[in-house]
Amino acid sequence: MSKYEYIPEPALVKGNHDFASITKLVTDVNLRPTPKNWYLAMLPANALLGLLLVSIGYLIWEGTGIWGLNNPVGWGWAIINFVWWVGIGHAGTLISAILFLFRQDWRTAINRFAEAMTIFAVMCAGVFPAIHVGRIWVIYWVFPVPNQMAMWPNFNSPLLWDVFAVSTYFTVSLLFWYVGLVPDLATLRDKATDKIRKVAYGLFALGWTGSSRAWWNYEKAYMILAGLATPLVLSVHTIVSFDFAVSMIPGWHTTIFPPYFVAGAIFSGFAMVLTLMIVARKIYGMKDIMTDDHMEKMNIIIMVTGSMVGFAYMMEFFIAWYSGVEYEKAIFMLRATGPYAWAYWIMMFCNVISPQVFWFKKLRRSVGFTFFISIVVNIGMWFERFVITVTSLSTDYLPSSWDYYSPTAWDVLTYVGTFGLFFTMFLLFLRFLPMIAIAEVKLVMPQGDPHNYDDETQEYHLHVEEVPQPKAVKA
Amino acid sequence: MSHKPTITDSLQFPADSKIPRVLLIVGAVGLLATAIGFATDLEQSLYSYLVSFVFFTGIGLASVFMVMFHHITKSKWGVVVRRIPETFGGNLKWWSLAFLPILGGMTVLYHHWTDPTLFDPSSANFDYIVAKKESYLNVPFFIIRQVIYFAIWGYVGHKLYKASVELEKTGDWGITTLMRKISAPAIPLFGLSIAFASFDWLMSLDPHWFSTMFGVYFFAISFQSFWAIMILMVFFLQSRGLLKNTIGQVHIYDLGAWLFAFTVFYAYIAFSQFLLIYYANLPEETLWFYERLEGSWKYIAYGLLLFRFVLPFLTLLNREQKHRKNVLRFVAIVVVIMHYLEIYWIAMPMLSEHGINFSWIDLTSFFGLGGIFFWMFFKKFQQNSMIPENDPKLDACLEKTYHQ
Amino acid sequence: MSTTESKNLYGILAEFKNPKALVDASAKVVEAGYDKFDTYTPFPVHGIDKAMNLPKSKLGYIVFGHALLGFSGAIAMMYFMSVIDYQINISGKPFFNAPAWVPITFELTVLLSAFGAVFGMFFLNGLPKLSNPLFEVERFKKATDDGFFVCIEAKDSKFQADLVRQLFEEAGATHIEEVYEQ
Repeated sequence: MSKYEYIPEPALVKGNHDFASITKLVTDVNLRPTPKNWYLAMLPANALLGLLLVSIGYLIWEGTGIWGLNNPVGWGWAIINFVWWVGIGHAGTLISAILFLFRQDWRTAINRFAEAMTIFAVMCAGVFPAIHVGRIWVIYWVFPVPNQMAMWPNFNSPLLWDVFAVSTYFTVSLLFWYVGLVPDLATLRDKATDKIRKVAYGLFALGWTGSSRAWWNYEKAYMILAGLATPLVLSVHTIVSFDFAVSMIPGWHTTIFPPYFVAGAIFSGFAMVLTLMIVARKIYGMKDIMTDDHMEKMNIIIMVTGSMVGFAYMMEFFIAWYSGVEYEKAIFMLRATGPYAWAYWIMMFCNVISPQVFWFKKLRRSVGFTFFISIVVNIGMWFERFVITVTSLSTDYLPSSWDYYSPTAWDVLTYVGTFGLFFTMFLLFLRFLPMIAIAEVKLVMPQGDPHNYDDETQEYHLHVEEVPQPKAVKA
Repeated sequence: MSHKPTITDSLQFPADSKIPRVLLIVGAVGLLATAIGFATDLEQSLYSYLVSFVFFTGIGLASVFMVMFHHITKSKWGVVVRRIPETFGGNLKWWSLAFLPILGGMTVLYHHWTDPTLFDPSSANFDYIVAKKESYLNVPFFIIRQVIYFAIWGYVGHKLYKASVELEKTGDWGITTLMRKISAPAIPLFGLSIAFASFDWLMSLDPHWFSTMFGVYFFAISFQSFWAIMILMVFFLQSRGLLKNTIGQVHIYDLGAWLFAFTVFYAYIAFSQFLLIYYANLPEETLWFYERLEGSWKYIAYGLLLFRFVLPFLTLLNREQKHRKNVLRFVAIVVVIMHYLEIYWIAMPMLSEHGINFSWIDLTSFFGLGGIFFWMFFKKFQQNSMIPENDPKLDACLEKTYHQ
Repeated sequence: MSTTESKNLYGILAEFKNPKALVDASAKVVEAGYDKFDTYTPFPVHGIDKAMNLPKSKLGYIVFGHALLGFSGAIAMMYFMSVIDYQINISGKPFFNAPAWVPITFELTVLLSAFGAVFGMFFLNGLPKLSNPLFEVERFKKATDDGFFVCIEAKDSKFQADLVRQLFEEAGATHIEEVYEQ
């Protein structure tokens, strides 16, 4: 016998499911009457959304002076929250596009869900740059449209790149999501029994029949979209990192920022998907599709990206010392030991140390523990943006102008309010749209592959892998 | 479909092949000629040798990385070609000896930080910036680091090769678990050691310059050229009538797709590094690019943009082109040449500031080290089957078919 | 073929028990020489493109055209705005600041390509098309759930109702019915 145990691939869908039972499992959530608990969840979500609207209203009325910004810290919670939410948004596209290109079939269980999360997270992110400008009524100045000053936007500004990057990202994610939804909307149209649902789902399904000629173009489109979305998702957080890195502020201007921000974004995005998935699969009984194996794979990705973030921290620290530039050295020492050391060590603990626990298989497969770590990771990633933004500004080149930055209640309320927007949208999604990509799950079930049928009888017949007995040969 | 795919090719690299001997001769002649170079023009020889050394070592390192990723992701796509990088990796332990000339000549090659007067405040040579880096940039620590790097690389490459051969001989699928157990902790170790090695070998040639991205950049250039080398290796074997039916269109397509993906990744990393330094325009960083965009060096710089990114990108954009042999061979050769030129462009401006100044030693050290590198490869490749037989994923890999 | 009936007849629809049976059946339909037919499945079935002898999708060309438009449009826009129409010196860089324009050029190329991919796909598939004779067939609702259908349209030059039925029966259809235009 072997010293090591061979671990075969687990089945993607657990339980004894056929196509019809998968359809029923997923569409029932949308077609049955609204459960009471959904309203109960909607209540706090809407309350927070209201809070967001009030905060924004007051901000527009009074101006950005209600935030805790000071001199020298001119960038505060608004950009931290923006980067945090955009980062979270990256997991959806990663799962739907990059894992698709890598032919990782397990993505089908979570891609719909993660894409929805992406879109809502980007919406939350988009709130901040829009409202932070002070005079929100001239926000159209950021677009290349004629304005009263006869000037055009500055195409050399990373903040303008952001405008293009984030709006492209939102548009493409939305299109990608919608393309994925069309066949499932057709399923809902055909399953619905009442007139309103039939018409509503029918309209958005665009008359999809499941024709193979249509699938043929559809698959091509999906492949191309995945190919486009993959560099797009990298570019978006890269450009977000340029907001900082093209400057010459110590601690911001460092060349590793682009890949490091992207890794951090995937890291926090996966954590957010896990947080939501663990709750949703329990409430909606989707454990057969969103299995513990999925959770384990995602935990591994969290561990890998967390380690990449740790690698970047280390590189930054080392090169800050190696550069011999006094300001670079000083800012990194101040991060670890200065007025914001508490934030720095929270960040270090949450982002670098905590994901390392996933080296242990037991912990990667523990639902409760994963849920806990997924939240810890997102706290850590918030603090990472806090550390980057605030420490570099509050203790910049000129010690005489150093100042400690603290947020005001309005900073906090606006941030908390974005959760209202996020969860309101998410609850609407869970209620009205299929949370699992039905067609794609069927595609990766063994029954979906004609190769798993007998050539003669055309009956389903799954080839079972046999583990051979090791030969006793001296290697 | 219960019938197993059958392999019709012979899986043994012919024992009587002349290839290893030819390579050994090329290598020996090249190294001998380089030795003459060392005797006549030491500094030039060391630079030339370093460029070629980094070129081939990068391929070996990328090989091990690819094997580790393949194991850790339980992939099936590359099983038929996996023995090639495994063999490159298995040789790294011996390849480390090729670093000795650099160690021997390091006070010449790295004189910008090994010269003791740089650290002496009373000397006219005193360099305020370099002096601050003394605790990292000093000869003993440099040597210790190299020992650590090669110990990690040699050990992991050897272990992964050995495990794969053992799996082939015994058919014990449990070994796949062992392979993952080796790979998982080795990946972060590789990440760190490759980054610091790139700092040591290339970045410290100009001890004033620094870039946090440099390790990732070195990883990206090495990996892109690794796929090109893989493609050329497969075509070379097939041109000798080997593995013609085993490595099919779909496997070549996959290699082409990887080359395409890493072309984009390379462009992303190289461009990001350039843009950030160009945009901020800080004197301590921007000079490095300034020197490399001046004189005839700028032809290599623009050549990299055109032939290392634009040409492969546009050529391989179409799905059909990713498995067309003539196209792939052409692109792969261009990428390999550009990879050499890129390392040359990173290192050489320190020797010849105002423009390209090719030396015959560039050629002899390239063929010398290359001959030895590939001689070692084929020697090891002969010892076992050319594909990892009995691998649990081998059937799935052979069964794959290309579809539009 | 009676002319009064064929006016209303849209085609004949057959259901098969699983993806494998459908792939085999569509190969038989192609072999029999029909070309105005389609198969309907809840998910894209592997290998059916070969069985149905589908031509390569033209979508790639549409997307590439859009990509070129996005790429050149972005550069043209920035060139006009920052070099021709209103020059502003930004940190001493040239007005045509190529490296700094890469991000926006990239984003607009991707945006236009994505439009090309999505709307091009809908265009090639003739969507939206909310009314379809097949939707009148109650059983066809299974096509988005767990049914695998073939429909040979009456428009096909070789169409003969009884021969089509016979073909489907021989291919092992589990259910056959006629579909009528409204």
